[in-house]
Parts: sequence; structure tokens; C-alpha cells
Amino acid sequence: MRGASAPLLAWGCLQLLLGAGLAAFSEGVPALLFLAAAAPALTLAAWNRARPASERARSLPALSLPVVVLAVGAALAALGLTAGLWLSLVGAEIALFGAVWLGRELREERRWGR
Amino acid sequence: MADGASVALPAERGLGWLASTDHKRTAAKVALAALFFFALSGLLALVMRAELAQPGLQFVSDHTYDELFTMHGSGMIYLFLTPMALGLGLYIVPLQVGAAEVAAPRLALGGFWLYLCGGLAMYSGFLTDSGAGSDTWTATIPLSSSAATPGVGMDLWVIGVGLATLGSLLIALSILLTIVRLRAPGMTMLRLPVFSWTMLVTTLMVLASFPVLIVAMGLLLAERHLGGVFDGATGSIAYQHLFWFYGHPVVYVMFFPFVGAVAEVVATFSRKRFFGYRALVVSLLVFTALSMAVWGHHMFVTGAVQNQYFSLTSHLLAVPAGIEYFDLIATMIGGAILLRTPMLFALGFICQFLIGGLTGIIVASPPLDYHVNGSFFIVAHFHYTLFAGSLFGLLAGVHYWFPKVSGAMLREGLGKLSFWLLAIGANLTFFPMFFLGFDGMPRRVPDYAPRLGDLNLLSSIGAGVIALGVLAFLANLWVSLRHRVPAGDDPWGAQTLEWATSSPPPRHNFDSLPPIGSYAPLLDRREAEEKAAPA
Repeated sequence: MRGASAPLLAWGCLQLLLGAGLAAFSEGVPALLFLAAAAPALTLAAWNRARPASERARSLPALSLPVVVLAVGAALAALGLTAGLWLSLVGAEIALFGAVWLGRELREERRWGR
Repeated sequence: MADGASVALPAERGLGWLASTDHKRTAAKVALAALFFFALSGLLALVMRAELAQPGLQFVSDHTYDELFTMHGSGMIYLFLTPMALGLGLYIVPLQVGAAEVAAPRLALGGFWLYLCGGLAMYSGFLTDSGAGSDTWTATIPLSSSAATPGVGMDLWVIGVGLATLGSLLIALSILLTIVRLRAPGMTMLRLPVFSWTMLVTTLMVLASFPVLIVAMGLLLAERHLGGVFDGATGSIAYQHLFWFYGHPVVYVMFFPFVGAVAEVVATFSRKRFFGYRALVVSLLVFTALSMAVWGHHMFVTGAVQNQYFSLTSHLLAVPAGIEYFDLIATMIGGAILLRTPMLFALGFICQFLIGGLTGIIVASPPLDYHVNGSFFIVAHFHYTLFAGSLFGLLAGVHYWFPKVSGAMLREGLGKLSFWLLAIGANLTFFPMFFLGFDGMPRRVPDYAPRLGDLNLLSSIGAGVIALGVLAFLANLWVSLRHRVPAGDDPWGAQTLEWATSSPPPRHNFDSLPPIGSYAPLLDRREAEEKAAPA
């Protein structure tokens, strides 16, 4: 699985090269933004190199309702930014409920995996 | 593996289906939602083309027209093509790499729900007093400030775009992790099928660029409510940098997965191994890296970017693009080409995207861009890339993988009818726009000079033909699912791993895997069997 790091690394380095080119042509934030965009690919390459994937099969529930609750709650909380604080609070509460539920589900999943 | 050797789990209904962690079901949900938003956004385009059919019609107000083109463009980009490209990857990539599931399936599921909520929020603007978002799909500052566009509808648009983009980002991350972490034993990076390679580079672009749009939407919302974020001319330029840092790569996010789909189709229906696999892999890496470096060409006319740098990088894109075209054409040369519906759509993609790509060279040149910027020429250019290109690539993929996903074959007759209607309609609609743009017709206006009436009428008739083509495609889906012709495991004699399992695949994708010695293991197996068979 470590082999996947090579293309990620190559892609990240190409980004850095092109970003350095832009920085040489011009100063300012755009060049920095571009250089920073290489970070996700390089970080993922390093992480994959350092921690190869486990060969062990995972147990996974067929359904995950908490994820749906969390996502819908987060969306409602975001919509509250224009609809009013009440919706943000309702959404945040739903999202919190979903997050706690998800935590329990993950704990359960780990217990089954052992 | 014999037909029906593995049995798909019974379909989960209702809430179960909506919360399923199976990547195939999440992908199906994404595809259904994307199709819904495609239909809505397509209807808006038909109203726009009706308004533009002749000068002086004006049956919608100027503000309504602003809403129409904003929601059409936003719907097609944020809610249809981008999620559809990722949804296709979410379904096919785990099967192609021999994985039992997708990595981080909860991320993908959560991503779908955020995307759906975002899309509904964007469209719910139509229900507000101020109407839906009306500041173009780019929401350029100061047009999208609260002073220029007050009201909840625009806020909903901004939040909706942020949510939908975050959803797409999570889905992409799940696909990327699958390729990096969950490949089957023997599936080295240089044995990845071409489609999976295109998904790998696509998700890398998503990871680098989508967070920037999410930040931009957050800042835009703050600007609208608090002010002081994007003040003056420098603020406007800063917003444009942030937006186009996402806005150009997303064009390729909506393109590369379909290049991959077309490559798979071309190899399968040419009965040949894909030509120049390694060159294609290198060109994909270079192309996508370069495509992150061209956003400034959308800002040539601002005078605030290094035109030389961005013009150079934009022109350089022609080199890897040329390699990809060469590989596709060389794969067909000497092949026993079967002109089935997927291959027709693939050929349509190859021919029509070429027009979009070549006119891209024009807008990559600052002096020429100064002339055509903000005109219908740009509308024609990006519709040749995204509609006549990407949509045809998507339909090639849909016709190709539909038997795997559903277990039933699509009808050839209806497929070919929809292809010809869409091909004629696309060219009738978008080709006249090049001339309209060169003649000075600005985009985003509901009325125009009478001398431009004939070409606009032609374009509007073309839009009607496209609508017929879409109806023929939907009819094909309906008929093929109602009166099923069983597909079997591998109806095309294909080359990659997804065809080694049942149609539709079981919950954990494979009961057993064939040996993987290259990016085309099924072709390897057939060739070995032919060699072993007595003469």
C-alpha cells in the first residue's frame, strides 16, 4: 500500500514547483495560496508511508443513522446563520446528539472488531 | 466466475436505504439527487432559451432572468456534474481496485447528506421574497454584497454552495483513501485501471481546491452580514483569486472522471489493451498539477494577475491533453471497433470536447480573451467542454456500467436515439454561440440586438432537441428497469475487475478475485485461456 505515496508525492512536488514559479513572477497571497495547496497531497503521502493500512478485515454496521443525524444537524446549524439563532441552536443540538450517537456506534464497532 | 455465483443482499427500504454505509447505495443516492438537480437546472435553461429565442420577447423580468442563469449554472456545476463525477467514482473505484468496501464509508454517507441539504438550500431561495441567488455561479463581489443583492435567497445560495462543496469534498476524500489504502493484493499503482487513475488525480484536485471555496463562501457570508471582508477593488480581486482557485480546477473535476470512463469504453469496444498506459498516467499527473496553476486566466481582464505566467501554464495544458487524445485514438487504431451506445457517446465526447479544448486555447491568450471575455463565445466554449464533452463522457460511462449497477441491459435503439438527439441538439445550441460572441453578444442579458435573432433562434431550437434527447435517455432508463433484459456478469467482454463480480455486485463486492497481473486482469485471463485452448 505504500506505493500509493509516490504519485501523491510527485503531484505535491509539481504543485510546489509551479507555486515557486508563480512566486518568482509575482509577490503576494496568490502564490502562497498555491504553495499551501500542495500540503494535503504531501501530508497524505507522508501519512500513508508512515502508517501502512491494516490487513485485518473491519467490521462495519450496514447502516449508520448517527452520520445522517450529524450531517443534517450541521446543515441546519449552518442555515441558521441566515434564518436566525434559533435554527442554529436546534441544528447544533441535533448535530451534538448525532455526534454522541456516532461515538457510541464507533465504540461498539471497535468492540466487535476485537 | 459463473453468472449469479454471488447473490446481492435484498434491497433495504426507506430509512435503511437512506442510511446505508454500502458505497454502492451511497453512490446511487448521489446519482439520483444529481439527476434531480440536473432536471431542475435543465428546465431553467429551457426557460432561458425560450426568452432568448427572439429579441424583445421579455416574458420574464430582468431579475428573474438573473436568477435563471445563476441557478442553472450553479445547479449544473455544484449539484450535478461535480457530485455525479464523484458518485460514479464512489461506485466504480472500490470495484476496480478489488476492495470489499470504500474507505471511510461514513464520510461518503455524511458527504451525500451535506450535499443534498446544500442543494435544497440553494433551490429553496426561489421560495423567498427576494428570490434565489442571482449573482452568477461565481457570485463575484461587489455584485453579491448585501447592498447589491439583499435578501435571504442569496444567503441561502452562499450557505448551500458551502454545504454542497463540503459534501463533495468528503465523498472525494473517501474515494482517495480507498485507492491509497484498500487496493487488493497485487493491485499496484501501475496496475490501477485508467478510470481509477483519473479518479485519483480528480480527488487530489478536490482536496487542494474545494476547501478554498468553502472558506470563500464563509467569508462572503461574513461580508454580507458584517462587512469589511472584501472591501474595495482589492477585496474584489481577493475574492476572485479565492473563487477561481476552486473555479478552474473544478472544471477538470467535472472532466477527468469522464476521460477515464471514455478510456475504459474505448479499450473495451475496440477489443484492445489501452494504448500508452504509462504515458497516460504521467500526463494525468502533469495535467492536473498544471490545472491548479491556471486560475488566473479567468482574471486576465482585471489587470491584477501575471498574464504571462497564467497564459504560459494555460497553453502548456495542451501537451498532456494531446497525449491523452493520442492514446485514445491509438487505442482505436487497428481495433475491432463495436459501435454500441457507450462507444457512440465516447466518440461524441472525443470529437466535441476537442472543440471545447481548442477554443480554450483562444481564451488562454490574453489579447484574444480581452475580445471575447464576458461574451457568448465563453458560453459556447464551456458548454462544449461541460455539456458536449463531460456530459457525453458521463453518458458513455452510464451506458457502459448500467448493466453492472442494475443487472439489466439498456435498450440499444433508445440509447442510439438519445445519442443522436443530444449530439444534434448540442451542436445546434452551442455552435452558433461562438459567432454570437464574436459578434459582440454579451452573456447574462435577457435581450439583444435584432441582427442576432436568427442565430439565437437556431440555438433555442437546439435546446429543444437536447430536451428530447434527455427524455429519450430517461425513457430508456424507465423501459430497461421495468422490462429487464438480464445483463450477466460481463456483457461487454470488458477488461477490469468490476466485471469479475456479479451484476449487481454483492454487499462486499467480490466472492473471489482473479489474479491481478496488469491493469486489465480480465483481458489477461481471456488471453491466457485463448493461448491454452487447443488450436
